[in-house]
Amino acid sequence: MLVIGIESSAHTFGVGIVKDGKVLSNAKSMYKITNKGMIPIEVAEHHIENAASTIKKAVLEAGISFKELEGVGYTMGPGLGPCLQVGQLSAKALAYKLNIPLLPINHGLAHIEITKHMERLKDPLVLYVSGGNSQLLVFNKEERRYIILGETFDMGVGNAIDNLARKLGLEHAWGSEVEKLAKDGKYIKMPYTVKGMDFAFTGLLTNAIGMLKKYSVKDILFSFQETAFAQLCEATERALLLTKKSELCVCGGVAQNNRLAEMLTSIAEEHNIRFARTKNEFNSDNGAMIAIVAEKEFLKGKRCSIKRCDIKQRYRVDEAVFYG
Amino acid sequence: MVEIYEGAEAIASCDIIYNTEVLIKTRFCKKYRVTSLDEELREFRTKREAKILGILEKASIYVPRLIAVGKYTIIMERIHGVLLRDTKQKTNVMKKIGIIAKKMHACGVVHGDFTPANIIISKNKIYIIDFGLGLITNSIEEKALDLLLFKRSVDKKDFEIFIKAYAKDNFEYKKVIGKLNDIEKRGRYQIRTLE
Repeated sequence: MLVIGIESSAHTFGVGIVKDGKVLSNAKSMYKITNKGMIPIEVAEHHIENAASTIKKAVLEAGISFKELEGVGYTMGPGLGPCLQVGQLSAKALAYKLNIPLLPINHGLAHIEITKHMERLKDPLVLYVSGGNSQLLVFNKEERRYIILGETFDMGVGNAIDNLARKLGLEHAWGSEVEKLAKDGKYIKMPYTVKGMDFAFTGLLTNAIGMLKKYSVKDILFSFQETAFAQLCEATERALLLTKKSELCVCGGVAQNNRLAEMLTSIAEEHNIRFARTKNEFNSDNGAMIAIVAEKEFLKGKRCSIKRCDIKQRYRVDEAVFYG
Repeated sequence: MVEIYEGAEAIASCDIIYNTEVLIKTRFCKKYRVTSLDEELREFRTKREAKILGILEKASIYVPRLIAVGKYTIIMERIHGVLLRDTKQKTNVMKKIGIIAKKMHACGVVHGDFTPANIIISKNKIYIIDFGLGLITNSIEEKALDLLLFKRSVDKKDFEIFIKAYAKDNFEYKKVIGKLNDIEKRGRYQIRTLE
């Protein structure tokens, strides 16, 4: 089946095209983040300006024509309302114009499922870490949905990292820059919050910002990263012992961080299980993951009337039933 | 020395010292953490666990008697008995457990993993074990989390007996139970159940 997927929940307007589980194209247009963070309306304007051209680019790169498309998937949520609307309307327009079925997809589910699909995982323990989310999940086969074992009490770990980067006045205030600058820093004691399989980051963030006067940016970033990731790892290990899964994967934007992957690899080795993460292009927000999930659902016969194709800003991953 | 249990952060083995059977619990190094964070966490948690055992013993709650504490190691009395988890007749001890939980919280101790897997019945005494995730705090939320975990791991009927005993002469009860209801209303706890 030839399916197009549209993702627009945050700063990326992404369009991916897949056929029979193979990604043919994965075009992206990213809103340029400044040190002000993301202003929803401005990001949505960016998406409106770039929607048509990104869709065209994806179709061109896939080497297909619009007429060949057999289904459309789009991100229903979670995400920023104005941004989600742009993706939803683009998807609806395509579905009407081409007279093909349309499916709303959960953003988090798509991140998890593309990782499982690309890395050929069967039933992993999932650490999903991005700007807005930080969760530990396993799939419940009877209920056909993910169950959250542990999650952040306050903010997503990616959001905390970006926030700190902005407060420290970094020019490119996001995770990859933090990772670069944090290399070989010195460890400073920071507050550490893990409760069972749950964790929190606001205390850590506030503390790190307060250290600006006394310590170097390098040491603060290093210690922040080490502490935040150690929290995630401790919760992950606990979940691993509880569920006894033989596979562990990490997905979402923060999964691109090599230090986090290194730490999780260490845990996997200790417990003699497989660790996997997929390519960066699928860990940052992208359309291909939406298309992959949509195709799986279409093939299982799932349909949704266009009238019911809504957006849901707070759409939790454990609400999404998945038959694929 | 015989290893009897390996958890996420500690290994427990048993031994005999001066004719006493002891449990030796050592928090091991986690390679994924930077050394200073790793050592600091292990040392802090070991000390905290020992401190909790001391506080509860003083309050006449049955816990393993503390014998010695090292930097990352605790040596304590080994308790023989049946885990509450593995007993069929839970109902008749629920009242006593409710009283123990009330006393424990009154001393400012929160267990952190308060389930039937951490309660041992030994010669008609009820022991609470494994304070590895324990906290020394008077936070109402933490206390409510203890109750929530217990509620989810026992029968409804048993929990009612437990909570009745917990509530009796407990000045904090209204606050804690209010918080428990609040927490249960948070969406994630309604859906979050293990297979």
